[in-house]
Amino acid sequence: MEEQVQDPAQEIKRLQRCINDLVSLLALPAIWSGNEPSYVVEMLLDALLRMLSLDFVCARLKDPVTAAPMQILRVSDSCKVKVPPRDIGLMLGNWLTGDGENSLPPKGSQFGGEDIAIVPLPLGIHGEIGMIVVGSERADFPSQTESLLLSVAANQASIGLREAALLREQKRIANELDRRVAERTAELAATDEELRNEIVERELAEERLRQEEQELKRSESHKATILDSSPDCVVAIDQEGCITEFNPAAEQTFGHRRKDVLGRRLDDVIIPPSLREKHRTGFARYLSTGESKVLGRRLEMTALCADGREIPVELTITRMPQEGPLAFTGHIRDITERKRSEDALRLAHAQVVRSEERWRSIFENSAVGVALADLNGRFIATNPVFQKMLGYTEDELQRLTFLDITHEEHVEEKRMLIGELLEGKRKQYQIEKQYRRKDGQPVWVRNNVSVVPGTDRVPRFLMALSEDITQGKQSEEALAKARSELAKVASITSLGVLTASIAHEVNQPLSGIITNASTCLRMLSADPPNIDGARETVRRTIRDGNRASDVITRLRTLYSKKEPSPESMDLNEVTREVIAISLTEIERNGVTLRHELADDLPQIIGDRIQLQQVILNLFRNATDAMSAIDDRPRELLLRSERDEGNQVRLSVKDSGVGLTPQAADKIFQAFYTTKTDGMGIGLSVSRSIIEAHHGRLWATPNDGPGCTFSFAIPYTQEGLAGAEASVSRVDPSTEAA
Amino acid sequence: MESPKDRSEDKPKLLSVVVDDDESVRESLPDLLREFGFAARAFSSAKEFLSSGCVDQTSCLILDIAMPGMSGPELQQELKRGGHEIPIIFITGQRDETIRARVFKQGAAGFLFKPFSDADLLAAIKTALHAGWDFTVNF
Repeated sequence: MEEQVQDPAQEIKRLQRCINDLVSLLALPAIWSGNEPSYVVEMLLDALLRMLSLDFVCARLKDPVTAAPMQILRVSDSCKVKVPPRDIGLMLGNWLTGDGENSLPPKGSQFGGEDIAIVPLPLGIHGEIGMIVVGSERADFPSQTESLLLSVAANQASIGLREAALLREQKRIANELDRRVAERTAELAATDEELRNEIVERELAEERLRQEEQELKRSESHKATILDSSPDCVVAIDQEGCITEFNPAAEQTFGHRRKDVLGRRLDDVIIPPSLREKHRTGFARYLSTGESKVLGRRLEMTALCADGREIPVELTITRMPQEGPLAFTGHIRDITERKRSEDALRLAHAQVVRSEERWRSIFENSAVGVALADLNGRFIATNPVFQKMLGYTEDELQRLTFLDITHEEHVEEKRMLIGELLEGKRKQYQIEKQYRRKDGQPVWVRNNVSVVPGTDRVPRFLMALSEDITQGKQSEEALAKARSELAKVASITSLGVLTASIAHEVNQPLSGIITNASTCLRMLSADPPNIDGARETVRRTIRDGNRASDVITRLRTLYSKKEPSPESMDLNEVTREVIAISLTEIERNGVTLRHELADDLPQIIGDRIQLQQVILNLFRNATDAMSAIDDRPRELLLRSERDEGNQVRLSVKDSGVGLTPQAADKIFQAFYTTKTDGMGIGLSVSRSIIEAHHGRLWATPNDGPGCTFSFAIPYTQEGLAGAEASVSRVDPSTEAA
Repeated sequence: MESPKDRSEDKPKLLSVVVDDDESVRESLPDLLREFGFAARAFSSAKEFLSSGCVDQTSCLILDIAMPGMSGPELQQELKRGGHEIPIIFITGQRDETIRARVFKQGAAGFLFKPFSDADLLAAIKTALHAGWDFTVNF
């Protein structure tokens, strides 16, 4: 290279400039300190570009950390190279790819036709850092000083980059260190934290443990107290079936001491012999299969006491929930008492139910209507008979009061009576009244109504027993009729006397017949037969037979059940008929009959038969009164006459035992009699008959012995007229005679 | 009416007496008694019998209970009082058991309700005479 010696002043300036540049370059690292490599390079490139008026500078670095290639290209504005910078970069890039000098392009390469002098500057001792390539089209490039500058720059760059790298490394290391330290610190802190937590936890755990121990102790003592004080027996067994626990209640119930039974087999101690086998098989089954029929359920069983008694118990068995070998607890309660009271209760209940059913049945099936009503009269309950009687259903009745169904005529009376009941003025009343059925028909009932007192559960209410007497009311006439008929049939003469009279009347001829017929047979069987005698007996037989027949006819007439037929009659005639019937008996009794029957007796209206009964009764009474008389004649005097007050009187006077003052009161009472075989109806009925004839019957003692029975009956005007007519028929002349 | 036939004429007939106020009885019974082989008489009242003079000869008395005046039982008492030990068979139309008991208590020998059969009467007589018969009777 030809160097022109320049003007020394210029040279000095140039050199000064060069020294400044050097200084600047030397100062660069300081500026670069702490900066990124790329910054370093850029700054350098810019500095070089400026200082040396280069056309382009390019640097290619390897990132020390990432080993990623970095390329920086600076092109000066004055660069005449027409090649776009990118291409330069590319070209350079090709040259810079390798490392070391092998990739250096030849000097004086061509760029776009122009010759460019390039100077490669390896960075780092072996170019390991990178390379800078500068280019200038100046022909004298690079001069000595420029080379010097370049190499210094390269050095500085290397230094700077190395420093940067170092710095980065330092930083990295510092960061790493920091990081590691931080990590470590964090680790340590974490561990510390962990340890602390562990400690806290451990403390907590210890605390808990302590508490649990306390709890356990408490619960133990609690359990012990419960067990001890429990009224239920608590027995625990292990998986062998041996007793591990036996509380005081169990001691008391079963009669074993705890220390005596601990360790012994349960089934030997409290299970009755009959159940032991079942227990053992069940227990074994549970142990092997885990199945049990008894666990957790309330069972009833029998248990065995120390003294050999077997008691009924209620029992629950549970498995004790715990780790380790099986254990079971049994809660046992002696239920002897309970069973007893259960049975008693069951019995009582059954009795109540039975009683309730009975009462219900009575209510439902009563033969009379039963109705219960509240104090307002509204029906609470009615039985079927009542419902049927009224023609309402139970429901319908429950909407009605008894005043609703009472016949209008009886409403006021009912209201009053109910009022008295409720006020307590009467306890109950009986009444015959009419209800109105649902269909409007009236129905006669006999009601017994009372207040049923209340209990503390049930308030008081009214009860009515109702009997349907419609039929009864309707047939009262018939009954009256029947009664009078009965009276007539019973009649004056009592049944005994009636049959006696029949028997007596008939017996006489009968015995005659039998005797005569017997005699006849004998006479005919005689040898020779007594024909005449037989004939006589036959005659008597026929006669007696007729006699008997007459008696029957007479009696039939006398006692026939004819309607009482009032007719106009002559009392004398009636009396004579009676005399005819009873004469035999009267005479048989040794009684003399006299009669003084008035001629002018007016006709009376009456019942012939009934009056005959009365007279017959009086005859018999008179006869009986004289039956014991021996010391004087037995005399019966009959008298008929007109009596004052338009009456006809008949008197029957005897000479018998007479009337005592006591008897005088009583003789007309029904069933009074002095006779040992009489029924005494006679006088009472006689009086009734006479009174029915509007008359009266009485007795008076005689002046002498005996007494006189008389009755008087009113006569009719016609009767009187008739009597007077008959009187007037009497010839006065014959009367006088 | 006397019975014409006599089995043993050498034997004396016992006297049976009937006392009854009933005419038909007085009519029929003696004939039957005669058929039995008795001598028979009938009276209408106790008084009539007592004053008849046959009392001592009477071997057997058939007596009605209910009679006017002295009744049958009364006659029985009377005869006893008089020391007459005549067996009495009572007859009656009234069905009264109490009277039966009474008369037997008083020593009646027999009791029959009317109407009675001839066999019944004969049996009663036989009992009354204790079957110590020394006469022949037709059965």
